Amino acid sequence: MRLEPFDTQRHMVFSRRATLFGGVVSLMFVGVSGRLYQLQVREYEDYRNLAEDNRFNQRVIIPLRGEIYDRFGVKLATNKQNFRVLLIPEEAESVVKSIAQVEQFIPLTEAQERRILRQAKRNSAFTPIEIAGNLPWDDFAKLNFKAPSLPGLRAEVGETRDYPFGEAAAFISGYVGAPSDRDFDQQSDEKTKLLFRQPGFRLGIQGLERTYDEKLRGQAGSKTVQVNAHGRVIEEYPNKEDEPVQGSSLGLTIDAELQVEAMRILAEPWDRIPEDEKDKPVSGAAVVMDVLTGDILIFASTPAFDPNDLNVGVSTDGWNDLKNSPYKPLLNKPINATYPPGSTFKMLTALTALEKGANAERRIRCTGKIWGGDRFYNCWKTKGHGNLDMVDSVKHSCDVYYWALAQQMEIDDLAAMARKFGLGQTYDLGLGTQQEGTIPDRAWKKRYYRSTPAQQTWFPGETLSVAIGQGSVKTTPLQLAVMTARFATGKAVMPRMVRSEGDLIQPVEAPADLGVPKEHLDIIRQGMFEVCNAPGGTATRSALPSELGTKVSGKTGTSQVTALQYDEKGKRIPNEKLPWNRRDHALFVSYAPYDNPRYACAVVVEHGSSGSRAAGPKARDIMAKVIEKNPAAMAAWSPGMGPVSQMPKSAADKTSGEG
Amino acid sequence: MVALTLPERRFGIRKSISSLHWTLVCLLALIALVGVATLYSVAEGSWTPWAGRHAIRFALALVAMTVVGITPLRVWLQLSYPAYFFALGLLFLVPFIGEVNMGARRWIDFGPITVQPSEIMKIALVMALARYYHGLEFKRVSNPIYFTIPIFMVMLPVALVFQQPDLGTALLLLATGFCIILLAGLSWKVTILGAIAGAIGAITAIQSGFLKEYQIKRLTAFMDPAADPLGSGYHLQQSKIALGSGGVVGKGYMEGTQSQLKFLPEMHTDFIFTIFGEDFGLIGAVGLLALYLMVFIVGMNIAMRARSHFGRLLTMGISMTFVMYVLINTGMVMGLAPVVGVPLPLVSNGGTVMFAVMIAFGLVQATWICRDQDTLRTTTGLN
Repeated sequence: MRLEPFDTQRHMVFSRRATLFGGVVSLMFVGVSGRLYQLQVREYEDYRNLAEDNRFNQRVIIPLRGEIYDRFGVKLATNKQNFRVLLIPEEAESVVKSIAQVEQFIPLTEAQERRILRQAKRNSAFTPIEIAGNLPWDDFAKLNFKAPSLPGLRAEVGETRDYPFGEAAAFISGYVGAPSDRDFDQQSDEKTKLLFRQPGFRLGIQGLERTYDEKLRGQAGSKTVQVNAHGRVIEEYPNKEDEPVQGSSLGLTIDAELQVEAMRILAEPWDRIPEDEKDKPVSGAAVVMDVLTGDILIFASTPAFDPNDLNVGVSTDGWNDLKNSPYKPLLNKPINATYPPGSTFKMLTALTALEKGANAERRIRCTGKIWGGDRFYNCWKTKGHGNLDMVDSVKHSCDVYYWALAQQMEIDDLAAMARKFGLGQTYDLGLGTQQEGTIPDRAWKKRYYRSTPAQQTWFPGETLSVAIGQGSVKTTPLQLAVMTARFATGKAVMPRMVRSEGDLIQPVEAPADLGVPKEHLDIIRQGMFEVCNAPGGTATRSALPSELGTKVSGKTGTSQVTALQYDEKGKRIPNEKLPWNRRDHALFVSYAPYDNPRYACAVVVEHGSSGSRAAGPKARDIMAKVIEKNPAAMAAWSPGMGPVSQMPKSAADKTSGEG
Repeated sequence: MVALTLPERRFGIRKSISSLHWTLVCLLALIALVGVATLYSVAEGSWTPWAGRHAIRFALALVAMTVVGITPLRVWLQLSYPAYFFALGLLFLVPFIGEVNMGARRWIDFGPITVQPSEIMKIALVMALARYYHGLEFKRVSNPIYFTIPIFMVMLPVALVFQQPDLGTALLLLATGFCIILLAGLSWKVTILGAIAGAIGAITAIQSGFLKEYQIKRLTAFMDPAADPLGSGYHLQQSKIALGSGGVVGKGYMEGTQSQLKFLPEMHTDFIFTIFGEDFGLIGAVGLLALYLMVFIVGMNIAMRARSHFGRLLTMGISMTFVMYVLINTGMVMGLAPVVGVPLPLVSNGGTVMFAVMIAFGLVQATWICRDQDTLRTTTGLN
């Protein structure tokens, strides 16, 4: 074959250049291989670590909150499954779109939408937001079925706080809620901060839940989650050495069954209530305690709120309704409402007089009024009580008798006696804020009028008012119960609510003696016995039913809220005819059994007009239940035992029907 | 006639098939096998949606290669210009009848199949240039008139592909054309002057906003991908993590965590080398590169041994195009080259590329079979 000369020439050039290209290409392959060597050998460690980072994230696991038990192991606060829908903003196309998708299945209120949007703005994009919690199973099932096809949405089962007794134990347990921004900012620990941002995490907001929050909260665990580039969790590995620890439990002195009964009794309308007010809630408080140990068995406050609602989050309207109600359903009345003790205070006046040498047998004549140095003071019984000794004076609750005693009395001595019996002070129950009340004396008045020295002088007339529990005296229902327990025992009984924290049962210290002579106390006790059990006593209708085989000693109290009201003809307007909020408070304190006291009770019915009519019968019914069950004689629960079966269903049901 | 020629042709076909370059076939098959295995891994151990189709495609493409290979090289010489103008025509049509895909109009729908005219052009351009220089006297190669013609032959399709927009393919076409012009013997002086002119033109183009923003971003992202982990450099960063964490021996077949966790985009197409590198480590990745290099060396040998200038330029041009794919793709996933969307030939999922590559190697086979034929040489000036 013949080759053209130019073909030879171009073939040579081609071969040279092809060889050159071959060399260049080979060099480039060497270069690429070198780069591979750099990535896969020299920088291997770096990239391996990066790969691990990519794949694994640390997540916080919310610890299970410690449970709260009553004295017999019935759960007052526990945890239950919470069917909820979460949104992970970074996985969603847009938060607004996701909300719309959820709304195809479950309705969301405008407030909820605002909250979701607010949280989406505030949280980092990978922190899930709870779109809706505590869903009914049907809704949850629907969403759970759909969620995988909706980006960013996840249906899952979490744990949420549950208060099986609802309103009945609301003021004992308190409630939990989502941490506020301020709660969050106050945390310094990173893990805690992260925990606070978890959807469904709850912080104690009030009551025991708040006081014992750190103990109940437990320890957050962590888990390693394997995620892909979109942040979607592919697999979870709980960290063995960092498992969440459930919070310690709390064991209370409360008897849940009696608590439910007391709430029901307290909320019942009484016989003298005007017909058109029968549907209105009864605003009141009842406290029952074991006089030997100080254990609070009943701690009732009506009306109440449902802590389960507050856990989930109530609407602004719902919250305002609670806040603005004249019956104050958010006020923990046994410790945070103060009332003039009225006639229940008279025993303290009597004891002070006895201490100062007064003769209990001396009879004082009540004509219905007494000159108090500045004006006449009128006994509640305008006709007068006639001649009374001290026991009679308690029995009939004669005002004139006590004014007569008070005229010989130094206010500071009376105040000291009141404090000795537990008034004017707070007790460490773990329930949060507590009102001290007021036990007026000269020092108090100086403090009170510290900016206007002219008004600091104590007037004898004021002592008269205090002597019958009026004027500036203010007490809480709890203080009245403590006072009654101390009358019953003569000992400085201290109330308590928490029996055990975790596995630790708190020991009960034997209360110190009050140093009040037994003879003095016995006179008071006799008077209180006759109040309920002797003909003519002010509270004979509050005597215990005879079949219980024991008797109660008590004392009524009716304390004025305003000055006596008169109509245009100068006639006193009957208390029941006044507007509700100007009627007298009704009080009753009692202890039982009268001869071997074990339980002390204090009942306050706000604006109940009459201690003997509104408060007495409630105290009787509550005390009857207590005596019947006699919880102090029953073996109490200890933390090792675990929860007992729930309350009888019927008892728990009774609470739910109440408003 | 028919009776006489039929046995001869049958004999011819059988002889042609047996005279195929079997080393080349085996190398291509090995690479395709790597593709099937990797696609199987990407799909988390499933033949669908990619691995099975890839295998079938390769089998069909192998048949196509054989058919092209046993066709006399003279036929391809004669078809070179028609193929070029056909491809050019399709490229013209793309803006009007093309399918829009990922923001670019690159595909034409031919009923059951859609093709990328730019892929056809890759072969057609090589053919046309080889054809051009085949008929050009050597002394005229550096003549201004005769070297301007091939520049136009290159720039016309480059411009059309560029405005689709498909920057990667445009650059590849440009580089391919440039290689063939060099191989044809353009003097270095003219080459350097042309390169300078081209560079000035490119800079002007970038500055005048001729490139779309995402194209500039892609070109610059590989400089410092870590600076923008979720932006345009994100894919590259993930790719490097996957490769780097593969180490020397790799994480094991289908054990690659990065790819299994879907950190990587385009795992079955442009970034498939990363999956392979993660699973099989440095040893596997370099091994695959070696296979590609061997294909190139085989191609180069065939080119050197071909007697016809058309066959030489054709084979060398195709081999160069092939390794450019490989080098750009692997360089791209390692951060050595910009992310321009170039597949890894025979391994990445995709039918058009597979067939384009195999048909191109069919032309190489034709060159091999007709390596001793000089008769297809024509001495006329331009044709």
